Amino acid sequence: MTMTESQPVNTKFTVSDSDSSATASGSAYHVPPPATSRLNGGTANTKTRSIQAIANTVLTDNRAGKLADGSDSASNKSQVSYVGYTFYKTLLAVMFFFYGMFRYCQLQYNRCKLKIFDILNSPSNTPQLIRQDVVKLAKIPSRLAAILEMKPVGDVGGGLHGLLNDASEVVCWTISAGVKHLTLYDHDGAMQRNIDQFRNEVYEHLSMYYGPDNVPNYAVKIPHYNQVFYNRKDSPVPTDKHTKVAIEVSILSNRDGRQTIVDLTRTMAELCSAGDLEVGDITVDLVDSELKQLVGPEPDLLLYFGPALDLQGFPPWHIRLTEFFWEEDNNQVTYSVFIRGLKQYAGCKVNVGK
Amino acid sequence: MTDMTETGAGSEVVPLVAGPTVELPGSWSALALLKNLFSRTVRASNHVPRHVGFIMDGNRRYARKRALEVKDGHEAGFHSMSRILELCYEAGVQVATVYAFSIENFKRSPDEVASLMDLARRRIRQITENGELTDKYGIKVQAIGALELLDADVLADIHAATERTKNNTRATLNICFPYTGREEIVHAMQGSVADHVSGSEISEETLDSHLYTAGQPPLDLLIRTSGVSRLSDFMIWQAARSGVDIELLDCLWPEFGPLRMAWVLLKFAFRNSYGAGASLADDDDE
Repeated sequence: MTMTESQPVNTKFTVSDSDSSATASGSAYHVPPPATSRLNGGTANTKTRSIQAIANTVLTDNRAGKLADGSDSASNKSQVSYVGYTFYKTLLAVMFFFYGMFRYCQLQYNRCKLKIFDILNSPSNTPQLIRQDVVKLAKIPSRLAAILEMKPVGDVGGGLHGLLNDASEVVCWTISAGVKHLTLYDHDGAMQRNIDQFRNEVYEHLSMYYGPDNVPNYAVKIPHYNQVFYNRKDSPVPTDKHTKVAIEVSILSNRDGRQTIVDLTRTMAELCSAGDLEVGDITVDLVDSELKQLVGPEPDLLLYFGPALDLQGFPPWHIRLTEFFWEEDNNQVTYSVFIRGLKQYAGCKVNVGK
Repeated sequence: MTDMTETGAGSEVVPLVAGPTVELPGSWSALALLKNLFSRTVRASNHVPRHVGFIMDGNRRYARKRALEVKDGHEAGFHSMSRILELCYEAGVQVATVYAFSIENFKRSPDEVASLMDLARRRIRQITENGELTDKYGIKVQAIGALELLDADVLADIHAATERTKNNTRATLNICFPYTGREEIVHAMQGSVADHVSGSEISEETLDSHLYTAGQPPLDLLIRTSGVSRLSDFMIWQAARSGVDIELLDCLWPEFGPLRMAWVLLKFAFRNSYGAGASLADDDDE
């Protein structure tokens, strides 16, 4: 189809280009990417900052009028008596205090739970053990996706190296579990930019799992640049088309989400003004087939390794019926999250149309 | 939203549908007072979600569990919905979007489709004609989705029902009927393409402005009941944005009452008061 052929030309931006254009066209409700907020000073002083934040909410109201976009709440504020205002703020502080205590207990409870799960599910770098865990399941997803985050450089497992390490672990577990397609997503595209390092890291991990002589073949795709790589950096490109790969890894970033749909719309608009396409021809099926080519198919299961589900701009078209899994208050990429995600998936039934 | 002194005096909230669980005379006004107090307190945090989406899943399972008729399950679901919406609007939520009928539902048997249609139609009429909820909070009720898929008489009916509230401006209730998230994206693409012909640049905002939810505050909170961890094609464009809080609750929709909703609102306010969504989970990590 002509549309897909013209697409790569249209979407050829350098990474930095697309970043800046995304910020420039940021909407009024622009939410900064998680990495920037996370990288601001690490986690060392969270407690202090939490207390400050609470104090700010309770004592100084620097967010006045934000709630109802000015008009309503602003006129309200002037009429509300100071006494009433203080009363509700105090009540809020009391409520937050009790909620905070509850939350603290919940947090500790969840932490313990996660630790126990970690002990119960330890893969010890052996594909056979992972295989054994998976064989018991009634069904496994044919396409798996995972959202990864770059942690602050100062943290354990932080920075680019931590991210690549986590990603390679996920790749190894996925291969061992017998899933053939994996999509890895990070909001800022750090994996896409460091693709060579990523390939080498995966190779190292695989040789730990399978032994240096037995490393399975793998393909790494960056759909956005239309690139495919095989194995590690210096390995020869397989000339034989029949070389089987154990896994196909697609690396996605924020750029593959809404922005790709915008690009597709632009292409369609050009085709329409050239008279090659009618507005009525734009259907769910057409868009679906185009996006499948540009980004890839919809994953069956999406794993998130953060404390509370946040899709972080994951391609929206591709989460229609995707099952989500994450562990509350978990902040690490661990095998127990992976295997429990697969277990949840095995126990779920999908009915389209509720 | 409402003037404080005014509602402070007449804070009696009349339930939209007489509840089956009224035990004591006066318990309603006590509950209403409590709800009022809670709403104002949460509102004082300035972190109330502006736009909440609901996937109301589990009415049929609820009916099966309680050995009720499916119809009564839906009735209980509606009752639950109106009480939850009341709390939301009272706490300062500006827009609520509920998933009433998916385009995929057309795949069901004609009988079931007809009864679901009829149900949704009666619901919309019930909300608008009763008027207590819509008048009290100034809610504009509108049906969004691929309305062209509906029969002409259903469409006329819905149009007539929503006409009554079209001048309300303080809050909005979107009823997705028949709707899927993918269809909404395609709808936005079509709209953008059609606009482009008249010569304009297409950006993310262009698509945003052609969504069914155009002009409304962005989705802050999405709630799904019945323990299913999928979006089922509901508001996928909006929910994939970073910073949207997705709550997947392990209870059936009719069991999800105002109390649990209050808990979710409190959680939301607490979490967002920590600035930039910084989570407690980060401190004393080993």
